[in-house]
Amino acid sequence: MGRPDGEDNADLSSDDSPWSDTAWSEDDDDEGSLSFEDSGEGSGLDSDDGPEEDAEDAEAGAESDSSEDEAGPRNTVGDVPLGWYKDEDHIGYDIDGKKIKKRDREGRIDTLLRNADSDTNWRKVIDAYNDEEVQITKEEAKIISRLLKGKTPHATVDPYPDYVDWFEYDGKGHPLSNAPEPKRRFVPSKWEQKKVVKLVRAIRKGWIKFDKPKDEPDYYLLWGDDTDTADNKRQGLSYIPAPKPNLPGHEESYNPSVEYVPTQEEIDSYQLMYEEDRPKFIPRRFESLRSVPAYEKALREGFDRCLDLYLCPRTRKKRINIDPESLKPKLPSKKDLRPYPRTCYLEFKGHSGPVRSLSVEATGQWIASGSSDGTIRVWEVETGRCLKVFNVGADVRRISWNPSPDKPVLAAIVGHDLLLLNAEVGDEETQMRTKQLLHIDESAPEDDADDTKPAVRWVKHDKFDGITLIHHKAASTVEWHSKGDYFTTKLESGLREISSISIHPGGDNVIVGSKDGKLCWFDTDLSTKPYKMLKNHSKDITNVTFHRRYPLFASSSEDCTAYVFHGMVYADLNQNPLIVPLEILRGHLSSDRRGVLDCKFHPRQPWLFTAGADSVIRLYCE
Amino acid sequence: MDADESRQVRVRFVTKLPPPLRAPTTAIAVPAELSRMGLSEIVNSLILSAEPDHQAQPFDFIVDGELVRMPLHQFLLAKGISAERVLELEYVKAVAPKKQEQPLPHDDWVSAVDGSNPRFLLTGCYDGLARIWKDGAVCTQVLEGHSGAVTSASFINKGVETDGSLHVVTGSKDRSLRLFKFDTSVTTDSPKQIGAYKFFPGHSSSVQSIAVDPSRNMICSGSWDTKIKLWAVEGSEEDGDSVTVKKRRTNSDASGPEESQLEGSASSTFEGHSQCVSSVAWPEQQTIYSASWDHSVRQWDAQTGKETWNMFCGKALNCLDCGGEGSSLIAAGGSDPVLRVWDPRKPGTLAPVFQFSSHSSWISACKWHPSSWYHLLSSSFDGKVMLWDLRTAWPLASVDSHTEKVLCADWWKGDSVISGGADSKLCISSGVEIA
Repeated sequence: MGRPDGEDNADLSSDDSPWSDTAWSEDDDDEGSLSFEDSGEGSGLDSDDGPEEDAEDAEAGAESDSSEDEAGPRNTVGDVPLGWYKDEDHIGYDIDGKKIKKRDREGRIDTLLRNADSDTNWRKVIDAYNDEEVQITKEEAKIISRLLKGKTPHATVDPYPDYVDWFEYDGKGHPLSNAPEPKRRFVPSKWEQKKVVKLVRAIRKGWIKFDKPKDEPDYYLLWGDDTDTADNKRQGLSYIPAPKPNLPGHEESYNPSVEYVPTQEEIDSYQLMYEEDRPKFIPRRFESLRSVPAYEKALREGFDRCLDLYLCPRTRKKRINIDPESLKPKLPSKKDLRPYPRTCYLEFKGHSGPVRSLSVEATGQWIASGSSDGTIRVWEVETGRCLKVFNVGADVRRISWNPSPDKPVLAAIVGHDLLLLNAEVGDEETQMRTKQLLHIDESAPEDDADDTKPAVRWVKHDKFDGITLIHHKAASTVEWHSKGDYFTTKLESGLREISSISIHPGGDNVIVGSKDGKLCWFDTDLSTKPYKMLKNHSKDITNVTFHRRYPLFASSSEDCTAYVFHGMVYADLNQNPLIVPLEILRGHLSSDRRGVLDCKFHPRQPWLFTAGADSVIRLYCE
Repeated sequence: MDADESRQVRVRFVTKLPPPLRAPTTAIAVPAELSRMGLSEIVNSLILSAEPDHQAQPFDFIVDGELVRMPLHQFLLAKGISAERVLELEYVKAVAPKKQEQPLPHDDWVSAVDGSNPRFLLTGCYDGLARIWKDGAVCTQVLEGHSGAVTSASFINKGVETDGSLHVVTGSKDRSLRLFKFDTSVTTDSPKQIGAYKFFPGHSSSVQSIAVDPSRNMICSGSWDTKIKLWAVEGSEEDGDSVTVKKRRTNSDASGPEESQLEGSASSTFEGHSQCVSSVAWPEQQTIYSASWDHSVRQWDAQTGKETWNMFCGKALNCLDCGGEGSSLIAAGGSDPVLRVWDPRKPGTLAPVFQFSSHSSWISACKWHPSSWYHLLSSSFDGKVMLWDLRTAWPLASVDSHTEKVLCADWWKGDSVISGGADSKLCISSGVEIA
């Protein structure tokens, strides 16, 4: 191996470490693939080198350069350690696959001698891979040595050249343009003004808000229903998400377990439910998927959907979930409002025609009734016994007791006339007084039915020791004058035809029954409009009446029923009257399409008398 | 079969009846399904084995003070009595009228009846006459004088006859009370007409009810004019008769010869009711009970006239009677179909201790049995007379002999029920055996 001398070698070995990695060679330990002489002497050599050497170097350099660039490596064994071929006589294969023979190595002495002979020998390098000796030119050696010193490879390269300022400063001021400032720099910007106007308008109209909305938290509902949040965020028109269908369960299987399939009874019971409450889907069993019929509502639903699409925009239906029970007014229970008439215990039978009218005596011991059969009957309440029968011979349309208990006088409208009768109840003194009363003409008790008419004649009734007042016009109703209690209030009932009226004993409340079956409660302190309108009866109301003592009122109607109501009037003016329907009293039979013709309360007991067209008077008790 | 046999109850029949009706008291097993009738049959056959000439008759059975009115196992279940131990069944004769006597005809509605005299029946009628029926068959006397319907009538000396005659008081709708005296020995075919010997006017409205005090000296009357008046039977002789001996004749009175009448006046008047006093009762010398249409029952001190007890019951009352245990229970009925029994000794409660509600209309009369503590009868406008036992809520018997409203009813001789009604009949149901 061509090796430099010992000191050189020692010198090289100190420099060996940076070289070891280079492509030049790997194992320099024994073969010494890299032998290279360097530096101090190198530089000295440079100066020593003659021109002929330079020329040779240049020639070699050109040669080596081209050879290295153009010719590929001769050996083709690849990147394998050369140690593998140490014992072989070849070092590899050329491109044709032929072995490359190792050259015969010259001995150390030869090398030494040669080195001593030629001063250029130190520039020879052995390429162990290709097994050849490469002569490095002077230039190359110089580059190498410069590289080793950390300098640029070429000495001509100046790494720190002086800065050449290429810009020409003469005649040029520092700003790039020396032009005078344009006018627009000094006038307010039109564009800015527009922008400001826009902003101001936006602020005025509230499009821009300065109180910033609170920072939304950065987190979000990972598992939440995103439709909801989207709905919440959305401004303006609300988005109506399509309802999410429920996930199908076992019962929607074509062959569900038996417990999901309703029995026939259950299916029948669905028919009793309301349409909305019925289950939408009734599970059925099929043997196989093949036997499942087509969806029977497909056509219908498709049609409906089409209708929806071209006719009906999908609007949000505002459905309020209200328990219907809660809408009912809170009424006290019927139990707390006892006593009130509930059951019929007594019947007063004897009339042969419809009982048109009845009246209860002031003490409640007797009642009198007038009937279309031309009789007036006086009954004992306690037992239902008919005490007296006055055969007046004409249709008795209205009957009324004198409200004073010590003058048992009956006033009845018989035909066109008013008949005053001695009822012949009470003790002898009373009866005597009554007789006297009825004997004296003109001073008989006043009645306010027709007292303005001059055409009333007082005629003594021969048969019953009574007085007949003969009117020219038909009298329709008779009421006894009770100490001049007058009322004048115009009430707007809105009813068609008023059939009856009754005044609360307190005086401020009036009930009015009409021929269209409506009953109006007027609170004259409250308004002239009805406080309450009750439509209970299906036919005409024949009479309405208040109880004198109990908070009760009743209405009787042609539909064979009488209604009993609780009508509590409070002394406190702030509290409205409490009206509670209590009981429907049935029992009368319809006769000639007429039902209950009159109803009257017992003056002291919570009992109701009803006079029916079926010629029976009934007493309803608690 | 096994199940049937297993449902057996061991019972022992005991009784307080006299010996011929005593069954052996050994415990025997009877089927649990047996009700009153089956048990009666067993008892009858038990007695028959001992007494060959025994007539089968129905019995009622009492367990723990309660009448058995359902199958035995149901009864035991309802009462929570163990079926394991021997059940002691006390049997008594079933209370039911056995026989309907011939009804006594009247001219008008029979509104009052009194059966306190075992020989005579007293009835008041709507024609204004009171009648005396001897032995419940023949009308011997007609007591006349009232111009209105007789609403109440009562013997004054119940069983005791003073010098061969009996005194009777009647109250009427003509606002007066009248005292009559009739000879018990009269036996004529045609009824004898008797006028009143004493006359008590004073009420301003019809007299609804009268009651005679236990010492037979005073009469109490309740009237529609809300007052209760007390009248002395004999007292008027001291002060009243000499002053007001007056011949009174009402125009309706057709009878010619009229005895002169004594006119008495009320010794005291109790005011307090606000409506018609429909019924009065005078069970003890000191206390008078009254029932009124103003929904109250009041107790009065007969001496002072003070109201000592007032009970509100919520219904207009028609009738009232005192009886039961120590004659201290009050039975009253009124304008609803429920007969109620109150115990005034129970403080602080107005709830009735017993309620009997098998009627279907107003109750017109109620009477305790004169000797039994448990039995009472009630008559109603539904035409029925019902017999009740305090030990059961079911009626013992129902007498359906009336076709119209029953207006009055009473016990007679302790074993008959007499009732008068709007069908103008007095019905007598006899054979009610109450031990």
